[in-house]
Amino acid sequence: MNMASLTLKAISKRFGKIVALYGVDLHVEDGQFCVLLGPSGCGKSTLLNIIAGLILQDEGSVLLDGQSVDRLAPRDRDVAMVFQSYALYPHMKVAQNLGFGLRMRGVPKQTIRERVLEAARLLGIEDLLDRKPGELSGGQRQRVAMGRAMVRRPRVFLLDEPLSNLDARLRAGVRLELKQLHRQIKSTIIYVTHDQVEAMTLGDQVVVMRHGKIHQIGRPETIYERPADIFVATFIGSPEMNLYRGRLLRKDDRLHFQGPGFSLDLRGLQINLEESEVEVGIRPEDIGIGQGGTTILQAKVEMISNVGSEKYIHAHLGQGTLTVRAPKEAAFQPGQIIPLTIDPHRVHIFHEGRRI
Amino acid sequence: MSREYFEQTIIRILRVVGLIFFITIVAFPFYWMIVSSFKSLEEILLRPANLGLDIRKIDFHAYYSVLFEHGFLQYISNSVYVSILTVVLSVTLATVGGYAVTRLRFRGREIMSYSILLIYMFPAIVLVIPLYVMFSRMGLRDSINLLILVYLAQTLPVALYMLKSYFQTLPPEMEHAGLIDGCSRLGVIWRIVIPLSAPALASVALYTFMIAWNEFLFAFMFLDTPEKFTLSRGVVQLAQSVHLSKQLVMAASVTVTIPILVLFLFFERRLVKGLTAGAMKG
Repeated sequence: MNMASLTLKAISKRFGKIVALYGVDLHVEDGQFCVLLGPSGCGKSTLLNIIAGLILQDEGSVLLDGQSVDRLAPRDRDVAMVFQSYALYPHMKVAQNLGFGLRMRGVPKQTIRERVLEAARLLGIEDLLDRKPGELSGGQRQRVAMGRAMVRRPRVFLLDEPLSNLDARLRAGVRLELKQLHRQIKSTIIYVTHDQVEAMTLGDQVVVMRHGKIHQIGRPETIYERPADIFVATFIGSPEMNLYRGRLLRKDDRLHFQGPGFSLDLRGLQINLEESEVEVGIRPEDIGIGQGGTTILQAKVEMISNVGSEKYIHAHLGQGTLTVRAPKEAAFQPGQIIPLTIDPHRVHIFHEGRRI
Repeated sequence: MSREYFEQTIIRILRVVGLIFFITIVAFPFYWMIVSSFKSLEEILLRPANLGLDIRKIDFHAYYSVLFEHGFLQYISNSVYVSILTVVLSVTLATVGGYAVTRLRFRGREIMSYSILLIYMFPAIVLVIPLYVMFSRMGLRDSINLLILVYLAQTLPVALYMLKSYFQTLPPEMEHAGLIDGCSRLGVIWRIVIPLSAPALASVALYTFMIAWNEFLFAFMFLDTPEKFTLSRGVVQLAQSVHLSKQLVMAASVTVTIPILVLFLFFERRLVKGLTAGAMKG
């Protein structure tokens, strides 16, 4: 497979008065699986369309392998796109759908047939080749849409929420297949989604976007473990990270955080920050229940949601609320006071919205 | 008797009465026309109120006479020429124009797409006299091609409007897929939009054909030479001629009507089902 690195330089786009993208910079290496993640309206699909050439950027430049493609029509950019709605050609059979791109490029019929078969085999849709899209199920259509892109062997794959129209069970399966597929064909993939699970499981590189700006670029672990700002911290992770506004205090060279109605001992943390207003974030799974850790807090259980594999305990901490992830065996009653331990090294501290 | 049963009965009776009423209004003149065209002049004169047709006395002479003695063969060929050319031009222009108005962004797009229908604010009779004067002075009158131009002006707005409305229902992602897969804009129109718009294109073609085929006013005003007459013009010419014989006019009228009827039956199947099923997530 031929593939390419993709570079975006200061891409800006406005639709009338609405600014969709503010000078977005991004570099995606050869063969990387890059996920653009963000809530709807964050500009991720616009960015994808700009890479494809379907929308023209107002400013900035798109480079494939270091070469600008800004002046090229979509068909000359050698990219393939899988649409959220699949956008199959309903008047053509599956085989024709798959081969359409090659046919348009004047590839010999024999080669088209071989490549269509190859892709169909890879996706397990060989027996559907003579059907029309109208006769296929949602999952099958999704595969055909993937196949149509693969047959082309493009330099870059652009996937626009390709799984969002599948039902939940199917989605998990196709997600795994997609990951495997990428391991096999090793092509550069730009994948747009608003689903953090897809982003975390699929991406080599995750790009978190909001309001037309990139908030953080990094490996999934990094995004999760070291969110760059409050938006990323709360957008990624379920249940959401607990967040408290308060004041960082230094007493006897010992650091602690004065939150709403509680105080958190942060001894051992090296922070180059004087006493100041900060926000502290703690992931629900980073809170231990019971005695023993370094920091002990008391929380009053309010409600318990049982999701089967584990339980989420919603509790009152000081004047704020708190969610704790607990094993499924945990047996607590609303109203109960529970001791909590928190490792200061697992606490995220944000100053003026940014991580420190 | 329950109220429901009573209402049902009333509705059923009304439905039957209504159907009979409208079928009579539409079908009787048609029937009368066909029956009369197969009778001889003598038969019509002797028993003018006879609604039936004696199979043994079917007389094709009226058709022979209309076609070969009154120049209707020429009129048919003129009408076919005018109608087909109008259809081809109108469908082509409306496809490209309708697509542009639907998908492309350009200055004045909104105004253009709405003002297209403005021409319908002027009844043909208002336009025909100025056009008559204008074309006479330009020396363009009495030309069949001029007629095509006029029919285009008459059919294009509705054709554009119909196709525009249909194109708006096509999912744009499909065209984006085409653009990325290697088509130019025209390629997308040719390979994706047109095949998917077959029902709409058929309706537009049929509509345009009917207008061009049946149009009388402009044909009447603009054509002087009998060799250039279209069918409808020819029928009126025949009806106004001195030796008026009813069966000839009827045969001529049948000649005008049959092609439209055949076309309708042929296209009807295409008009029924949409073709976009299965493109999208569904």
